[in-house]
Amino acid sequence: MAAPMSSVGKPSAERSPFNNTSFQKKTRSKLISIPGTRPSVQNGQLLVSTGVTSLDYLLGGGLAVGTVLLIEEDRYDSYSRMILKYFLAEGVVCRHELYVAAAQDNPDDILQELPAPILDDVAMHKPAEQPRLSREPPDGLDAMKIAWRYQNLPKVQTALASSSRFGHYYDVSKTMEPEIRQAAKCHRFYLPEHPTQSSPPHSTMLESYSALLKSLQEVINREGFDVAAPMSNSRNILRIGLHSLGSALWGDDLCCHDNPKNGRALTTFLYGLRALLRSSLSVAVVTLPSHLIQDRALMGSITRLCDNAIALESFKGSERETNPLYKDYHGLIHVRQVPHLNCLASKLPDHKDLAFKLKRKQFSIEGRRGRSTCCRRSSER
Amino acid sequence: MLPELLQGVDTGGLLVIQDSASYSGRHLLQSFINAALNREEAVHVLGFEVSEEELKDGLRGSPVQRLHFHNAYTDPLGWTDHPAFTVHQFCLGELTRLVKQTSHSKPATLVIDSLSWILRHVSTPDVCRTLQQLRKGGAVRSIIGLLHADMHQRGTVGSVCHSATSVITVEPAMRGDEAVAKITKRSKSGKVIQDEEIFRIKDDLTVLVQSKSSKGAKKTDSEEQETDPTANLTFNLRLSDTEREAKQKLALPFVFSKEKKTALLHSGPGSGRIHYEPDANDDYDQEDPDDDLDV
Repeated sequence: MAAPMSSVGKPSAERSPFNNTSFQKKTRSKLISIPGTRPSVQNGQLLVSTGVTSLDYLLGGGLAVGTVLLIEEDRYDSYSRMILKYFLAEGVVCRHELYVAAAQDNPDDILQELPAPILDDVAMHKPAEQPRLSREPPDGLDAMKIAWRYQNLPKVQTALASSSRFGHYYDVSKTMEPEIRQAAKCHRFYLPEHPTQSSPPHSTMLESYSALLKSLQEVINREGFDVAAPMSNSRNILRIGLHSLGSALWGDDLCCHDNPKNGRALTTFLYGLRALLRSSLSVAVVTLPSHLIQDRALMGSITRLCDNAIALESFKGSERETNPLYKDYHGLIHVRQVPHLNCLASKLPDHKDLAFKLKRKQFSIEGRRGRSTCCRRSSER
Repeated sequence: MLPELLQGVDTGGLLVIQDSASYSGRHLLQSFINAALNREEAVHVLGFEVSEEELKDGLRGSPVQRLHFHNAYTDPLGWTDHPAFTVHQFCLGELTRLVKQTSHSKPATLVIDSLSWILRHVSTPDVCRTLQQLRKGGAVRSIIGLLHADMHQRGTVGSVCHSATSVITVEPAMRGDEAVAKITKRSKSGKVIQDEEIFRIKDDLTVLVQSKSSKGAKKTDSEEQETDPTANLTFNLRLSDTEREAKQKLALPFVFSKEKKTALLHSGPGSGRIHYEPDANDDYDQEDPDDDLDV
């Protein structure tokens, strides 16, 4: 069970003794409100945004708290890394806590590359300050020649205040300002800084993975993300980003050989991770260089152990790059699995044939065949 | 692209030259050594496959006084009493010590000939980790490794190349003395540049790029096709000064004088006004409509 709303909220057992009926009015006030979260319209799960609005839509509104999103990396890890950064940047903007683990690059490097959020707060206050009935418009009446009737209208406030909104947009050409970034509390796990002994010969778990799991557990317990922890006034979400798990730098030979020696190490780790997440207010994004993994059956069981699974296929370096059919896009996105949370069947996305495009201000995912953009519908909720 | 890489691999970079039985990448590797020596950089070679004499013979004409050869050719596995360098010494501490032994002010270039030899005796995760540590360690400026791709499983080759910043795959070309290089370069920002070039290595180990291969040629074709769309029009798009004057004289309907405009815009009390408060359910397009413009 992925932390359903009722178990997170205040105990609903305070029924008055004279209330005979079992019917109860559904009130939202009982639910705790954490900034940057919202309940799912389908099953009431608490959702957080991935930072990519169209991906949220694809996954049924967002990532349910307590679940794992697996991203199969594209060949050069450019777009998967981008999504991971969006996910972390969204956490910074929503003032969630972050946990970043990596073996290749220092987590600090990843955090420094976070894209700058496009916040409309600054632009919002400007039209309100201007008196609406100013007799002397700044540029004179000739500022608008044809559509002059519009020129004195105040600028429409199209955006809500950033904190109350679900999902933000980011400008990938700029990096986030250090002040914003440092305001967020961030836990780092950089594997080379954690000296590990070689694992005992008969253990299915790798030392690097168990060190990571222990560190995660410690953070969850210490910072009070555990659902069972005593209720404090302000609860928060822990966003966990694990970069390039299963790669050779984690000491795993999963990607290196056709018959890996410790092929079960990653699956064992994922069981542990899932058990941790299910009982805490946290959500994880895991990227995995799946194109290096030769054993498809093993890849299948890894996918099964995550709740959401998507795969990115970049056109970079493939013959599809020059194919006119794909000229508008940067790659394909395959939805491998959507979560089944507290239900038998889950909602599948309308399109199976999806492509993505990274623009300066948006990472958009579109249904390719009908050209009907599903990203546009994401705002309908 | 190939000449740029020869100019020098980025600091902290790992360049992998992938070859196969049909074409050896060692000549290209020697060109890289030669280029580094000519830049007056210290070069440390871990030689598993070629003896020192053979390597220096190949590098005739280069300033070899900065070349440091670590002999792993005569005894790679340490079977005799005094091995110079064995495959088991391929770890961060040993390599840093080796490189630091010789005093040079500049960080050195480490050349591994070849990674295949090491990968046969050391586990792939360990090799990848050592390479990564060397890159971050600071003792070595850049690493150039030769990899015989057809000797390993695909996953092993993929894992090594996954951590590399640049990969050059060499293949034989149509003509005897030429070869095709497929180059993939990752920049720090995560951008990936790919190129395919036909090259020839001259006797003095300089690399001569003959031509871009077919892929590059196609690109230039499409560039040529991009002509000015306003060039051959059957109608006139531009206005002369007299024409513009005449156009501005024309009074358009619903264009009023300044006074009338002001009166219309600031209507008196009693008239309606639209107040709008944004809502979470508004279908507002965040997208910048001019995002794709080349401005």
